[in-house]
Parts: sequence; C-alpha cells; structure tokens
Amino acid sequence: MQKNRALTLGAIAVSAALLAGCSTGSGGSGGSDGSGEGTVKLVAWPGPEGDAMAEVVDAYNAGQGKEDGVEVEVTLLSRQDTFSKETALMASKSSDVDIYWTASYNVGQFAPSLEPLTDIDTSAYFPVAAEGLTYEGELYALPLDVSNHFLLYRKDLIDALLSNPAAQAEYEKISETVLGEARAPKDPSEWDLDDFKVAAAYFSQSTNPDSPTEYGTILQAKNLLYNTMIWNDVLWGYGGNWEEDGKAALTSDAAKKAVQLYADIYENKWTSPDSAQAEFPETQAALQSGDTAFAIQWSAAFAALNDPEQSPDVAGKIAIAPVPGGQTHVHALAVSLNKYSENKDAAKKFLSFLATTDAMTQYAEAGGIPAMPEVLEAKADINPAFAQVSDSISEYGFSEPVFPQTFQAYSKLAEDLSGAWVGQSDVDEALETANANLQELLDR
Amino acid sequence: MPHTVERAKTIAAERHKRTFAATVLSLPLILFAAVFVLYPLASGALTAFQSSTLLDQSNELNGIDNFVSLFRSDGFAKAAGFTVGFSAIVVALEMVLGFALALVMNRAFPGKKLFFTLLLLPIMIAPALLGVMFRLLLNGDIGALPTLLESVGLSVSLFSPDSVVPLLVVLDVLQWTPFTFLIIYAGLQSLPKELLEASAMDGAGYFRSLFSVVVPVLKPVLFAAFFLRAIDAIRTFDVIYVLTAGGPGTTTTTLSIFIYKTAFEAGDFGKAAAAALVVLLCLIPFVPFIVRRISSTGMEARR
Repeated sequence: MQKNRALTLGAIAVSAALLAGCSTGSGGSGGSDGSGEGTVKLVAWPGPEGDAMAEVVDAYNAGQGKEDGVEVEVTLLSRQDTFSKETALMASKSSDVDIYWTASYNVGQFAPSLEPLTDIDTSAYFPVAAEGLTYEGELYALPLDVSNHFLLYRKDLIDALLSNPAAQAEYEKISETVLGEARAPKDPSEWDLDDFKVAAAYFSQSTNPDSPTEYGTILQAKNLLYNTMIWNDVLWGYGGNWEEDGKAALTSDAAKKAVQLYADIYENKWTSPDSAQAEFPETQAALQSGDTAFAIQWSAAFAALNDPEQSPDVAGKIAIAPVPGGQTHVHALAVSLNKYSENKDAAKKFLSFLATTDAMTQYAEAGGIPAMPEVLEAKADINPAFAQVSDSISEYGFSEPVFPQTFQAYSKLAEDLSGAWVGQSDVDEALETANANLQELLDR
Repeated sequence: MPHTVERAKTIAAERHKRTFAATVLSLPLILFAAVFVLYPLASGALTAFQSSTLLDQSNELNGIDNFVSLFRSDGFAKAAGFTVGFSAIVVALEMVLGFALALVMNRAFPGKKLFFTLLLLPIMIAPALLGVMFRLLLNGDIGALPTLLESVGLSVSLFSPDSVVPLLVVLDVLQWTPFTFLIIYAGLQSLPKELLEASAMDGAGYFRSLFSVVVPVLKPVLFAAFFLRAIDAIRTFDVIYVLTAGGPGTTTTTLSIFIYKTAFEAGDFGKAAAAALVVLLCLIPFVPFIVRRISSTGMEARR
C-alpha cells in the first residue's frame, strides 16, 4: 500500500515538474538585458517585406553584425497569422522571440508586451510613420515599411476615353443617370469620389455594354481589417472620421455616403460580385486579367502590375493617381523589442542598425518600401512609385485615431460593415451597429 | 495455518508487483493526459473566469463577467446558429453520400482501385491548403472553374453573398464525404456475407435487405461516422476562414472563427476561453449518449 502511495506521489511530482516547465517564462515583469552579444531572434511575415528584411539581415550578419557580436535569425510566419501567433507569445510572456513584427494598427494593443525604444535616432523617418508607432508618448516600434493607397488605373483606356468625343458623350449620359448631373470625363488625378462612381459605371458592361472592360472597378469588400483601411479612404474623402472628441462618428452623413458608394457600386455590378470576398490578391488578379479598369489598391501592388512577367496583359498600361477624394490611409509595418526578451542589448544593436539610411537603402534595393523619404527619393529608379509614395504620404496621408483598441476597431468595422458594403444589410442599421461597437471600444 | 499465511503473502507480493508494473506502464499515458489534456483544459477553464486581455495581463479573477459579456454580444448567438445549421446540413449530406458511395464501391467494377484512390484524395490535403486552392480555383478573374463555366455559357459568381453559403457547404461535402465513405465502406467490408445470403433466400429485395439487414448491423459504424464528422463540423474553421473570414458581415462566422477572432483579433482571451468552455459544456452531454448508442448497438449486433 505504501509502495502504491509512493508511486502515485512520484507520478504527481513528475507531472507537477512537467507542468512547471510548461509555465516557464510566464512570470516576472520583463526579461534581462543579456550580454549584448549572441543570437537575436526576429519574427517577420512572408512577402515583399519579409523577403527584403531577410536580405538586410543577411547583410547585417555578414558585416556590422560581426563587429557587434550579434547574429540575427529570421523566422517567417504566415502572412495571415503572424499577429495571432505573436499575440499568443505575448499572452504567455514568452522570451522565445526578441524582436516582434508589429504595425501602426496594433502597437497600442501590443505596447504592454513591448519595451519602449528610447535611445534610437528616428529623425530619418517620415514623422507621420514614427508618430503612428508612438503610444502614450513612447516610441514602441521602428518603422520599416510604409503602406498607403493609390488609384491604379488603365492609362490606355482613360486616354482613349479622353480623346474620343463619342465616348465622352456616352460618359456624360451615364453620369446624368448615376449622379443626376452630366459630368465630363477627367484625368484620374483630378477625380473626386463622384467621378470614381461615374467612371466605375462607364467602364462596366452592366451599364455600358460597349465598355472595354467587364467591370469598372473592384472593391475590397471581404470581412477583413485591411479592407477597413481602404474603405477609410472613402470615409475620410467624404470628410468623415471614426470619431470626434472621443465620440464615435459613424452615423455621420459622410459615413452614410461612404457605405452607400460601396453598396451602389456592388449592387449595380460595377464591381465583380466576387469582390464580396476580395482583398489584395483578388484586386491584383482583377487588374492583371484586364477585366477591370481601375481600383484603389495598396502602394506595394504597382511594381508587380507593370512587370511584364507577372502581368503580361497589362504591364506598361497601368498608371498611378492619388485616391479619389484626396485621402490615403498610412501605416507602417515595424519591428519592436519584446519586453520579455533575454537579450535586449543585442537586439537594440540590430534595431539601431535598422534605423540608419544605409540599412533602409539595402531594404529598398531588396524590394521593400522604406519609411524614409530621403531613401525613397534617392532610390526612385528601383520602383517608379517611390517618388509618388513620398509625395502622397506628405500631401494626402492620414492616420486613424490611435487608442489601445485600434486593431479591434478595424476588425469590428469590417465585421459590422462588410455586409452593407455588398448590399446584404441595411446601410443605416449597419452604421448604427458599427457606431455603437466603436464607441464601446473607445470607452474601454 | 502457516501455509495459508505464506500463500497470502505470496499473493500480496504478486499483486504489488502487478500494481507496480501497471503504474510504471501507465505513467507515460498519465503524463500525456496531464500535460496535453488536463493542464490546457484547467488553464482554459481558469482563464474563462479571469480578466485576461493583451492590455490587461493581470489575470485577476472576475467571476462570470466574461460569460455575461459573451451572452450579451449577439455575435456568439449568431455564430452558434450558423455552426449548428451548417453542421447539420453538411453532416447529413456527407452521411447519405458516404453511404451511397460505400454501397457502390462495395461491388467489383473496372477501375475501382483508381476511383478509390481519387475518392480519398481530398482528406489527404490540409483544410487550410484546400481553402487556398479553392480561393485560386474559384476566383472570378483567374480561376479555372469560372473560366470553364463561362466557356459553356454559364456565368456564376461563387463568392457573391447569395452563393457563398451553398458554396461552403459544397466544399465541405467535397472534402469530408470521403471520410464518412471510408468508415462506412470498412463496415460494409466486415459485414458477414451469410446475412445477405440468408435475407436473399428469404426473398428480400435489394432495398429490403439494405434497410432491414445492412443498416441495423452497421448502426455502430454509422453512429461512429456521424459522431466523428459532427464533432469535426462543429469545429470547422480553416476553409471558411481562408475563403470568407466569416463574412460578408458575420454570415459565415462559425464558433471556431468567433473564438479565434475574440482571442487573437480582439485580444480578449478571457471571453474567448468562456466561449470555448460554453461550447465544450454544450457538447459534453452528447458524448455519453453517442458512446452508449455505439456500444449498445454494437452489442445488439453481436447477439
């Protein structure tokens, strides 16, 4: 009997020891600074930004890293779930990763798990990019890759429209039906959101059977937080905002117009019915196929659309203009120091290196869009959009309100509004719901 | 008397040896259960009663606040409604189709091996990967299927709000019917031939034999297939998340997607754990019922 009891106790002891092992790293208020040398683990996501980062890391490991006594290891997670996996690591106060992949839209939420970056020179960055990563007066992340939106359009089709009087007359006739006023076609750089709507109708075969494209545009209307960022261009373009003085403002006329514009475009088949589930890749596919005349799209898309290998049907025909309405969301993908890292000093050496124009020049050469105006202008030969990115961010860029629940607000708005964007639910009801949910997030 | 005492000691020693061996041999299982089942379960249950978010990592006990918040939000109820409806439809279709396919495959015909292999392919592919494949295959601009349909004069938008739910049902049925088929086919293969021969001698036709002999004998197998698929359907996540992210709106949000978004997008681990616990508690009562059905019908069949 005693032997049995001893065995049972032994089993419990081993189990307890194992369980204790499972909870390693879950206590304490933060990791140690370490020796300032050794391996630094960095998380990135796959795609152009992660690939460019990997090249910068290779260059660092082969050069400056040897002097610093630091070697950086990059782990690429999935593009869809990088933030989810980081969230799980943060929740367990893990020290497995030294540098997290973060962004303007989640830095407020992640801040309790991050170490403020106090000793790093940020003067070379776009001020708006650094501000977007500052929470409660502290910089929590270094801007790496800056993102904004453009109107990407088929220049050949617009040129044909602007040079053909019969086509212009047809355009004005359609404008009369769509807007109640006969607007003449304009160069896309002069479009407002009404021009965007008329052009969407004109280039759609549902309204204009002679249209060279099946659809005028493609809306990114999937229930996805990144699509809220694009819809925000329309909201801001109509003069709206998420909130005014801490009060949610989504029942404004601007918000109603912004949702109604999407719903009108969707219901009139001026965008593909499949755009109910569209995001970045579907928008690229629609433009690449030649079936769609224009779209509001992320800045990173432009180079691929004009690459004859990736886009044989449209390369050389795609041009770039500011988003109609003159507003573009801006956010920066960034890197942050894990508060629970056990090698903070070494990680800071690498972060200081990343903040130099030399490192960001390497990043641009590797395919990234660095958040430094000086580098973008100097490297305009690499990507024809670089100069426009720089101009656009300074002229048209806006950032959404920064509060701890910003990330949740993007997701919640996508959830509450995506049905109304595609005419599945009532515009006013959807905005009432979204407004109430946003207010709850603002109040937390 | 001394002989009896000696014998009792020997028996006791043997019993101790056996107990020792049993304990040692079962230790890995105990450890496995402790580490991978009991600990996560207990930890999750505890989190459901804590204030645990990314912004508030204090993990202080907050009573039933997470549950109150859960039931006040209509998202959970909507997700539960969609999950139950979706699961009921797909499991019913998969059971019927799986059974029909098993009956077809239970006969010899040319090309059976190739057909069998092709039939099983969908369950070999990870659901998330299948989602990505469908996303490419069904894309209105570059997808092979819409292009093929257009070439025969059919214009369909598979991802439009009207067709997205039926599309998800079809995709789930395509992927998981082979699973029910495989289980039922294995059951059919083990069916004693004498039973069918006896029913034929009694003059029973095909359908009479099917419903009066085959189905009753296969009941445990059918229940097992139903149970496994139902559990899996209720957990559906990957394909739907990749294709629709739960939208438009919340039209296709399953409970798994709701829990995932609550935890990893909203960063509210307490509420997500509460939702997971509620789902678990709703499912647990069905387990003994199903297990009893499988066991009792199995015993009936053996009698």
